[in-house]
Amino acid sequence: MEAQRKFIVPIGPQHPALKEPGHFQFSVEGEIVTGATVRLGYVHRGIEKGAEARNWTQNLYLFERICGICSHVHATALALGAERLAGVEAPPRAQAIRTLMSELERIHSHMLWLGVAAHEGGFETLFMYSWRDREIVMDLLESLSGNRVNYSVNLIGGVKFDVTEKHHDEILKGIEILEERTKHYLKVVTTDRTFLARTRGVGLMTLQQAELFGAVGPTARASGVARDVRIDAPYEAYPQFPVRLVTDDGGDLLARFKVRTRELFESYRLIREILNHMPPGELTTRVPRRIPAGETISRVEAPRGELFYFIKSNGSEKPERIKVRTPSLCNWASVTQVAIGHKLADMPMILSGIDPCFSCNDRMVTINRGSSSQVWTWEELRRYGIEYYRQR
Amino acid sequence: MDGQAGSPWQQALDKVRDWARINSPWAIHYNSGSCNGCDIEIMATLTPRYDLERFGVKLQGSPRHADILIVTGPVTRLSRERLLRIYDQMPNPKFVIACGSCGLSGGAFRGCYNIVGDISEVIPVSVYIPGCPPRPEAIIYGVVQLLESLKRRNAPAVNLPRQEGAPA
Amino acid sequence: MDTSTALEKAAAILQPWALATATPEPNRLDVVIERGSLIPAVKALVKARWGFFSALTGLDQPPSGDGEPVREGCVEVLYHFCSAAAVVTLRVSVPYSDAKIDSICEVIPSATLYERELIEMFGVECTGTPNTERLLLSDDWPEGVYPLRKSFTGFQQAEGQEANHGSAA
Repeated sequence: MEAQRKFIVPIGPQHPALKEPGHFQFSVEGEIVTGATVRLGYVHRGIEKGAEARNWTQNLYLFERICGICSHVHATALALGAERLAGVEAPPRAQAIRTLMSELERIHSHMLWLGVAAHEGGFETLFMYSWRDREIVMDLLESLSGNRVNYSVNLIGGVKFDVTEKHHDEILKGIEILEERTKHYLKVVTTDRTFLARTRGVGLMTLQQAELFGAVGPTARASGVARDVRIDAPYEAYPQFPVRLVTDDGGDLLARFKVRTRELFESYRLIREILNHMPPGELTTRVPRRIPAGETISRVEAPRGELFYFIKSNGSEKPERIKVRTPSLCNWASVTQVAIGHKLADMPMILSGIDPCFSCNDRMVTINRGSSSQVWTWEELRRYGIEYYRQR
Repeated sequence: MDGQAGSPWQQALDKVRDWARINSPWAIHYNSGSCNGCDIEIMATLTPRYDLERFGVKLQGSPRHADILIVTGPVTRLSRERLLRIYDQMPNPKFVIACGSCGLSGGAFRGCYNIVGDISEVIPVSVYIPGCPPRPEAIIYGVVQLLESLKRRNAPAVNLPRQEGAPA
Repeated sequence: MDTSTALEKAAAILQPWALATATPEPNRLDVVIERGSLIPAVKALVKARWGFFSALTGLDQPPSGDGEPVREGCVEVLYHFCSAAAVVTLRVSVPYSDAKIDSICEVIPSATLYERELIEMFGVECTGTPNTERLLLSDDWPEGVYPLRKSFTGFQQAEGQEANHGSAA
């Protein structure tokens, strides 16, 4: 009779693929996980407090750097909230450009995730291919904004740059190549037998669980929850360019792969629509430097799910309070509940299945296998998972 | 084992070591509080388009096998101790590359309560790569600069002793 | 169910506990409730399957300064529930002197992360929350210093270390 052993698996500091430090704690009985908690804080920078010492324009830059993967949605959420408080609205063309950037960012983020998740499953080829193809969308983002990451698209009251004819052609061309590649990836994730062995039926989250735990974004949609801020509460130019909801009833990892990959097609379609019906007009509108006092809630759909901003202004140049609740935090909360009852070997895939983003709310993992304490790196856990399935 | 500094054996050994180090430096990447921007660019640097591995650079999981520590982001209070631990675990000689504006100066986060400071306030840095985030080309350039300086044997800030009583 | 019907429905569900209600924006409903009625109110929302628990916000309201009407410092805790475009916010105020609130984890287990954040950032004790370990702040963070309270303005006061590196430069 083996006594309970304690496993500590710190992910991050020495983790080559999951780029951020986090610490998860799993309690394990034999091979089965009986409890999971997280320790965040390695990337906690104190942005919410920092926001109170900066003015609105400076905050736009600060909040864009909450997360380098979904930087545009953070700035958008802040800009939309501030505009609502100030009682102004960005011109239609600016809204369309914001939407265009949001979708391009979604493509980049989903492809990044596809690679990282494949890597966690030991599928290095898919990792390298998807990252190679991701460079196409990175080039587009760069040619539009001048930077590959942290695009600084938003101003309060508009956007900084225009989309020219040249960009138009470039984007359409890039999207076409990506669409072909995505078809291939969808085929791979749904038909490759070794891959299916790691994803089908793993990390099951039922519809009821997803609703109760408040999962958001693709993680929730893969459990059949019809939840997408772009559809529920359209912002930017989404009222003019409606999104078709992508859901899957599977609730397992395979469903999460399918939902994200199919969302890519939806993004391609949206981008074409926006480019072909780009409203003409101004890029910015005048906004007072002091945002009138008030409270507002700004919700946008980040690549990982619903991003929630609570903004309170006291009528001065600086905000009184900005609360950021990122989608990853919601999904952490749900995944730590769902992880229970699964094999330890599945943990890397389950955790990466929600597309965790550490800097967004910042985090770490620990495993308890009873009394004797053993420290594993994330890499060791990942290899353990790959080996476990290789031997079966 | 302990050859005399000037002995022919030692010189030959040093040559081989330098050759090996320059042709196949192993790197470890640590995010001490960055926004991910630099981290995904470092990842992109290793993937087919930029392919840093053609310089023999390999991203490594364990600090005990690494020659180069690539750090991104400002140093947060919680990650400071871990950064020091990783640095101390690395075998000599070790080199640190600070990547991104936040790592150089604290960047947009300077003044936030949970930020200890920039990377050079915690560990000695050999190469600074500016940018928010630096482009993959810039990261490659930074790494190559380090390798070049090793070739010329005038590596900057190599193995500087860590200042005791550095800011907590 | 469109937004206004959803909000009406929520108003009806929460009516027994509401001290005051407000509609600051067309898609929002703010309901001020007593500390003691938090759990029943949350339970009612969950039971009616009204939306999902989306976020928990702390708002610091420092004690009044000189010349203002006397007001005790308090932390306002906001529980946001979202259903499509509608957002319902339960607002509970707890004074500094008795900063305690019941944990809603028994109803919504995933709230534990938000509550741990609230504990650390505002010093509001969540009675009954399953885990009170440090979530975000470092282990050497001084006890009783809550960074998101307005009275916290940096580390010069708390530890006097800042002069070594940061703001002096």
